[in-house]
Amino acid sequence: MKGYIVRNPKLAWREVDGEMVIISPEDSQVHELNETASLIWKHADGRSLEEIAERISTEYEVSLEAARADIGELVTTLEQKQLVFVATEVKG
Amino acid sequence: MAKTPVMDGLISRTVERHLPWSVHVDLTYRCNERCIHCYLDHEDHGEMKTDEIKNVLEQLAQSGTLFLTLSGGEIFLRDDLFELLEFARSLHFDISLKTNALLIDAERARKLRALSVRRIQISIYSAEPAVHDAITKVRGSLERTLTAIRFLQAEGLQVKIACPLMKQNLMAYRNVQALAAELGVPYVLDMTITPKMDGDMSLLQLRNPAQDLLPILQDPTLNPPSSSQDSAQEAPLTTGSATSSGIESQAYEDIPCSAGHNSCYISPYGEVFPCVQMPVATGNLRQQRFEEIWFKSPEMERVRAVRESQLPVCSKCSIRQYCERCPGLAQMEGGDLLGAYERACDLAELKAGLAGVQNPISALHAQKPNTKGLCSIPSLVATPAVQAGSN
Ligand code: SF4
Ligand code: SF4
Repeated sequence: MKGYIVRNPKLAWREVDGEMVIISPEDSQVHELNETASLIWKHADGRSLEEIAERISTEYEVSLEAARADIGELVTTLEQKQLVFVATEVKG
Repeated sequence: MAKTPVMDGLISRTVERHLPWSVHVDLTYRCNERCIHCYLDHEDHGEMKTDEIKNVLEQLAQSGTLFLTLSGGEIFLRDDLFELLEFARSLHFDISLKTNALLIDAERARKLRALSVRRIQISIYSAEPAVHDAITKVRGSLERTLTAIRFLQAEGLQVKIACPLMKQNLMAYRNVQALAAELGVPYVLDMTITPKMDGDMSLLQLRNPAQDLLPILQDPTLNPPSSSQDSAQEAPLTTGSATSSGIESQAYEDIPCSAGHNSCYISPYGEVFPCVQMPVATGNLRQQRFEEIWFKSPEMERVRAVRESQLPVCSKCSIRQYCERCPGLAQMEGGDLLGAYERACDLAELKAGLAGVQNPISALHAQKPNTKGLCSIPSLVATPAVQAGSN
């Protein structure tokens, strides 16, 4: 799994009962993430997607392939909503 | 914040769990205007220092606060404002500001944008300089405030106009409404004038008698039928307090409002209250940790235990649905957090009359044999009720 993921730094967020609530300051849009998406969000500090897949695989006791597939879809959604950015390389 | 199913669900959860997710912090009571209706004393009696405020913000973030409103006094009189904003941003708060905007120039607007401040609420009393400036007691203040709004808009920041209404500017709501439309910003009319913090009631003389508010309560542009309101949009008018959190929800059910349930107020001196408009001291952050006050203060628990269905007078009121009783004002004006108070009753009777209720009379007035319901105008064409302002 390629790429590095980072949260959109403009957003405001807080965890409520294990789920992330995110607000965009530009349009006041409120987003609520499910448990897995919240986990991705928490780790989206510039680390690699592969590392996050490994964590999810361990935490939920699922195969690495299944974790990768789950993450792939969720990351695409988060990216489309401009909640995260995915880069192919880490910028030095 | 707009009412949406997601927000409603979140509000219910935060209320159930007593998460302090909306907190209003006044950074100073000092101000560069002298508004005639202001309840503050404008002195510095020992404001929290930069590090103390940062510590409070850290505690709030840990406790689950998402919505942070910074207000005053005039926040731009704090030299450390941008340092505090930067710190708040690093803690991922959703940040709203309340300011008179006199000290906002293009450079400061740019910085606010860079710090992802979501909303800036600015008071405007009239689109006519003579009326606005007579209320702020600063000549040229309307012009300066409008210039600042344009700087903020040029940066793409969300501005909201708040227009407190008093005798001096009652009908100015129309030109403020037009001004907001011209600027393309939402606005809120606020009919609440509160006593001074020290209990001095003289400011209440500035209040419009309830009957004088009829044109506003009947104005169809302020009372659109609910079916035509886009639920994702901000309703154009709330009659609650401009000082409150701005979060409204049906999730509150049997509790009077958000105060002490999922929101609270912190003064420049570190005092914690359930709401800026509720003078019930619950503790001081200079002596105690936030969570200790929030979860354990007996006063906070007392406020939290109030249920509308158990209010001694109001629970028996036949026009309750038209009433926007604020428990804080009940305490300030009637001396009882659980009680009814004249102003709420007068307004509720007016609204009930407008909605077609025959001889509306509040439970408080019904108890007093010589008091008639203020409003007996069933012949007036009914207009939809003004949106409830309690939050
Ligand atoms: S109803 Fe009154 S006490 Fe309650 S949140 Fe609103 S202003 Fe505060
Ligand atoms: S109208 Fe008066 S008595 Fe009735 S609910 Fe409101 S404050 Fe209480």
